[in-house]
Amino acid sequence: MSDLPLEALEAPPTRTREVAVPSGRRFTPDDQAGVFRRLRYRLSVNGLRTAWASGKVKLISVLGTSVLVAAFVFGLSWYGIDQMFKFNVPAKGLIVGGLFDLMFFTLGGMLIFSTGIILYASLFTSPEARFLLCSPARADRVFAAKFQAAVAFSSWAFLILGVPILVAYGIVAGVPWYFYPLLPLYLLGYVLLPGSVSAMFCLLFVRFAPRNRRQALVVLGAIAVAVLAVWLIRLGVATKATIMTSKKNEVEGLISQFALLQSPVTPSHWMTNGIVAAARGEVMNALVPLGMLWTNGLMLYLGAALLAKQFYRTGYDRVVGGGRGKKVYRANALDRVMEWSVFYLDKPTRILVVKDFRTFRRDPTQWVLLSIFAGMLFLGASNYRAIIKNDLAVLDQYVISLVNVSATCVLLCAGLSRFIFPLISLEGRKFWILGLMPVKREQILRGKFFFAATVSTAFAETLTLVGDLLLGLPPGAIAVHLLTVGVAAVGLSGLNVGLGAYLPNFRETDPSKIVVGFGGTMNMMLGLLFLVVVVTLMAAPVHAAGVAKGYGVNPDLPTWSYFGVPLGLLAGVAAVVLPMRAGARSLNATEF
Amino acid sequence: MRQSAIRNPQFLKRGWNVIEITGVTKRYGPKVAVSDLNLSVPDGELFAFLGPNGAGKTTTIKMLCGLLFPTEGTVEIGGFDMRTHGDQARHLVSYVPDQPFLYEKLSGREFLQFTCDMYRMDRDHARRRMAEVIDTFHLDEFVDDLTERYSHGMRQRTVFAAALVHEPKLLIADEPTVGLDPKSIRELKVLLRRLTESGTTVFLSTHTLDIAQELADRIGIIDRGRMLGLGTMTDLRTQAAMDGSLEDLFLKITEGVDAAGVPA
Repeated sequence: MSDLPLEALEAPPTRTREVAVPSGRRFTPDDQAGVFRRLRYRLSVNGLRTAWASGKVKLISVLGTSVLVAAFVFGLSWYGIDQMFKFNVPAKGLIVGGLFDLMFFTLGGMLIFSTGIILYASLFTSPEARFLLCSPARADRVFAAKFQAAVAFSSWAFLILGVPILVAYGIVAGVPWYFYPLLPLYLLGYVLLPGSVSAMFCLLFVRFAPRNRRQALVVLGAIAVAVLAVWLIRLGVATKATIMTSKKNEVEGLISQFALLQSPVTPSHWMTNGIVAAARGEVMNALVPLGMLWTNGLMLYLGAALLAKQFYRTGYDRVVGGGRGKKVYRANALDRVMEWSVFYLDKPTRILVVKDFRTFRRDPTQWVLLSIFAGMLFLGASNYRAIIKNDLAVLDQYVISLVNVSATCVLLCAGLSRFIFPLISLEGRKFWILGLMPVKREQILRGKFFFAATVSTAFAETLTLVGDLLLGLPPGAIAVHLLTVGVAAVGLSGLNVGLGAYLPNFRETDPSKIVVGFGGTMNMMLGLLFLVVVVTLMAAPVHAAGVAKGYGVNPDLPTWSYFGVPLGLLAGVAAVVLPMRAGARSLNATEF
Repeated sequence: MRQSAIRNPQFLKRGWNVIEITGVTKRYGPKVAVSDLNLSVPDGELFAFLGPNGAGKTTTIKMLCGLLFPTEGTVEIGGFDMRTHGDQARHLVSYVPDQPFLYEKLSGREFLQFTCDMYRMDRDHARRRMAEVIDTFHLDEFVDDLTERYSHGMRQRTVFAAALVHEPKLLIADEPTVGLDPKSIRELKVLLRRLTESGTTVFLSTHTLDIAQELADRIGIIDRGRMLGLGTMTDLRTQAAMDGSLEDLFLKITEGVDAAGVPA
């Protein structure tokens, strides 16, 4: 019996007493954690080494851009916080705390979504999961490896963006030295919580949700959007009341909309409390929230691992075996609308556009995310109605319309980064099919660009036009807004398609992972940078001129307020031409 | 492939059934993929599993690997029930899928090492076995390159090497000859035969009927989830009431089935 593996001693069926073990097996306690640790280390080292060997310029440019964007975020944060301290804004501590609460809460919510989607793909649809589940790897060990990878994937951008903001705050506030080493501990501890929550949800959902998961997901998404909508509408009303008056009650009303964020049981508030306490030099008050973050995070992680041990394999069986009735796929009216909307392209490029559209509309994950975007649009429309009813002042119309333009642009950036950037990568090893078609590779890129530009321009222009008309803006301002979002949509389309081809990830089949990977994050950051430039150059001067002239009903804006328009157009052209050229060069040089 | 490298692993006593499938039905929603399947495969047997596309072969293989669970019935490997003692059962099994998986950023040697670690082999034994399989499958020339540069044939050979490095009691191979050149196919056939002689059970799913006819001790023919024919070539000829090649028998057996999978 001394030769038996440890597992064989765990009351196996009677006949297995005959089982002997091959020579050369270790009879030590299970060390699968070590096996996976060594695997991850080896994969990382080899990955970095090949990235360095195969494209130093690309790697350095990506790292350089990353540093640039981090520096930009740092500069912006430093300026904002410094101004607040310099002008001794009343209740600045409250404002900074509120902003931190909002930032961590929002990022936590986003992490729940992104980690959940990545984890679902890595646990239930990836070839690696299939391989590992056929090996003696324990279900909870496979889960742990995938969980760590998913959390790292979804949160590294959060760390890169969060650190510059908090460091800027530390410098301006003159915090004690230990504030800085504590920051990574806070951020790492915090990402465990949303990651674990989404992992638990993912496992329970797969194991117990109805067979038709698509419908269940859409219903859950709709509920989440509805809850968010109610909260945001209430927030909008409170914000408006605050803008219209300077009374204390209204300000408190606005702050009360963030009550959930400031609840003692909200982890994002622990983050804020801890970081602010560390900044003030209150060591104990800083360490207690840190301890709460880590203990709760680790407890939830353990809970998720226990669930994985219990349900991962049966959940996988359910996902693979969850067959539905036979569905016939064929072209439908939406495909024809898409083809019609790019009538100005030649036939082969139109075929490519429709192919991309059809692939997109048949991917349920894309639709879940799209329904979230749609929910946000609905929310915007509801707010416009509320605003009109309240008979806004002219100043408010301008402020809200500028916010509207900016929000539309940010939505565009998020949407295009999520759906368009991964398009080239997702062609993956199937690219040879396109490569053998009688079309140039540049044409494939152009097809994707026109697909993105057509859909996003139509979406952004409609949203902005409806919003501005409902707000009753004069034609000049509407024209500038339409031009601004048009440039943003076309520029972002070029940026996403071009960078998608320049920084492709042909080995990844999960679009979420492509988006939150190195290239995807760079793309997102550059997109945001581009938006800041375009909105600042094109729309902001018009509003600044309006403020200077006191906002008449139909103000005669000075010529200088339009000077930024051609510069914005130039930026738009650059955002299309430069990345598309780089992408085309990279694509032509790629062997399949 | 040089046969001296593969040694006889002693997991089970001779004469025990390595695979024991009892009354297994697997449903995908409303669709029945496998229906009331019963099959025993003793140790040291090369069993060929044949069937048209969509017959239920891959589903059966996935249940043998513990990737899927039967809706009804039990699957036992080496006496371990896959549902209740899956981790122990999987220690005895190696699976070579039709689309081999390799970590792109690992070299072939690192992948073999990972496999040895996963199966808890001690360092010296692992090193010795790795050298043996590298020699057997002629991996020497590329084993230290990253697998992302491998051709399909190189990948297939590496996956086979990894599948055998830990001396499994049961080797399950799904279309193992796809992507291999004629010489490698010839060597693979010899290797599979030697493996069974040394006590390893081989469960081979293939569409290449001449390989099945040449190598298999017994053949199972499945269609629409039901086992239609099972036994040696002689048994199948008796069942089909005809002489001829396995191709003839296969066509006769599978074409005489109605839509419900019942022999006409």
